Amino acid sequence: MASALVFKVCSSLPYRCARASRLTPGSVLAESGYTRPPMNEVRVYTVSELNRAARGLLETELGDVWMKGEVGEVSRAPSGHVYFSLKDSEAEIDVVRFRGRAPLLAAIEPGMVVLVFGRATVYEPRGRYQFVASLVQPVGAGLLHAAFERLKEKLRQEGLFEASHKRPLPAFPALIGVVTSPTGAALHDILAVLGRRWPLARVVLFPSSVQGDAAPTELVAALERAGRFSLERAPLDFVILGRGGGAAEDLAAFNDERVARAVYASPIPIVSAVGHDVDVSMTDFVADLHAPTPSAAAELTTPDGAEIADSVQRVAERLRAAVEARWTSAERSLRSTLRASLAREPRRLVETREQKLDLHVGQLLRFPRASLHPQIDRLRHAEDVLRLTDPRRPLERGYSITYAVGAKTPLRRASDAAPGMEIETVLAQGRIQSRVEGVKQE
Amino acid sequence: MKIEQALAKLEEITAKLERGELPLDEAIGLFEEGLALAAATKQQLDAARLRIDQVVEQAKETLSVEPFDVS
Repeated sequence: MASALVFKVCSSLPYRCARASRLTPGSVLAESGYTRPPMNEVRVYTVSELNRAARGLLETELGDVWMKGEVGEVSRAPSGHVYFSLKDSEAEIDVVRFRGRAPLLAAIEPGMVVLVFGRATVYEPRGRYQFVASLVQPVGAGLLHAAFERLKEKLRQEGLFEASHKRPLPAFPALIGVVTSPTGAALHDILAVLGRRWPLARVVLFPSSVQGDAAPTELVAALERAGRFSLERAPLDFVILGRGGGAAEDLAAFNDERVARAVYASPIPIVSAVGHDVDVSMTDFVADLHAPTPSAAAELTTPDGAEIADSVQRVAERLRAAVEARWTSAERSLRSTLRASLAREPRRLVETREQKLDLHVGQLLRFPRASLHPQIDRLRHAEDVLRLTDPRRPLERGYSITYAVGAKTPLRRASDAAPGMEIETVLAQGRIQSRVEGVKQE
Repeated sequence: MKIEQALAKLEEITAKLERGELPLDEAIGLFEEGLALAAATKQQLDAARLRIDQVVEQAKETLSVEPFDVS
């Protein structure tokens, strides 16, 4: 007699059994009306075996697949693994994404439609059917991303990204082209920055739509128009090509091959400024300069007017300091020349120096700047000193100078004269000639 | 004068004056020129208002430039 089997798990089997009952091969289970096949033809699985077999089947038969669905509940385990359910209108599946896989393109949030890549499997210890995702992407991103990478590689190999093709931008742009939507945030941002920073520039807008099916063609046409404008009307310093932030699909026009090629072909340097900091577009790679946002493009390509005004102010101050230094040294040498020569030939020298001084004072007074006034005061003082030492001054107050006729030096003591001597007295106006009658010594 | 030219000229004048080798009258002349240039440059910066035009294709092959209304 064959050995008896004790079925520990009954409910999961397709027939009922009596717990711990003895069964013989071929015996009839009357209650269910089920005739059990002979025991030697049957494979009886343990639970572990079944789970393992199911897992094997799923993994080998189905293999790695892409699956699309809407994210239901999400739970993040402290281990770093993320568990979520994925569903469509009729069914649901548990998904696990283990920590340490490729970084998530976006946080997994309930309600999000995602594309997952991985395999359906069974978690053996609990017999749970689940999906292990190695990649989770918001829908659309994956396919777009792959196409983007292919085009990028192709253009790179053609040399469209070569650094040698990138042209420098002028430091002080006068005429800036902008290719964007006339109603978009990008234009507004660019104009705001330019108005604040570098209002000396003139902006020429080449309107184009920036999203939708027509956008690539319109962008190409606007770029060509900018090129023609630069050649025929007035040379553009560069063109900012861009738009504000938006969903990936909204930025797609700037990944278009035609637009990328038009950027490469542009006779004017192009600054690509598409979306937000994190967005990368094909035009970023081809353009002469890549700015993270439209505002940043305006910022990066222009000098700061306020800074320049400051530096002009500083230069004006340096000018003043330099001319003051020059003046001080001139004054010093003038003074020392005066001092040296006053003794020798008072009158003529004083006159010519005074005249020179007047000339300089006159020039200085034409200076509009208050900071020169101390210099002028010093000059006036020097002038006063000169006037006081002018030998003519005392004569005007009634003094006179007396010379012996023919002498070069004036008489200083009575004893220098003698009765009968002819003398000449110099007054403020005219001279008196006389003869000495007597001399009194005091 | 374009602003970059004015800035270069200003720098040149300042450097000349700072060497301190010029005759006084020449130094004063340069000083006045420099101040006038600085004032004009500042005035140019202060008075500047961003001007915006837009270019559209009128008939085939014809570019037309129109003032752009910012508001």
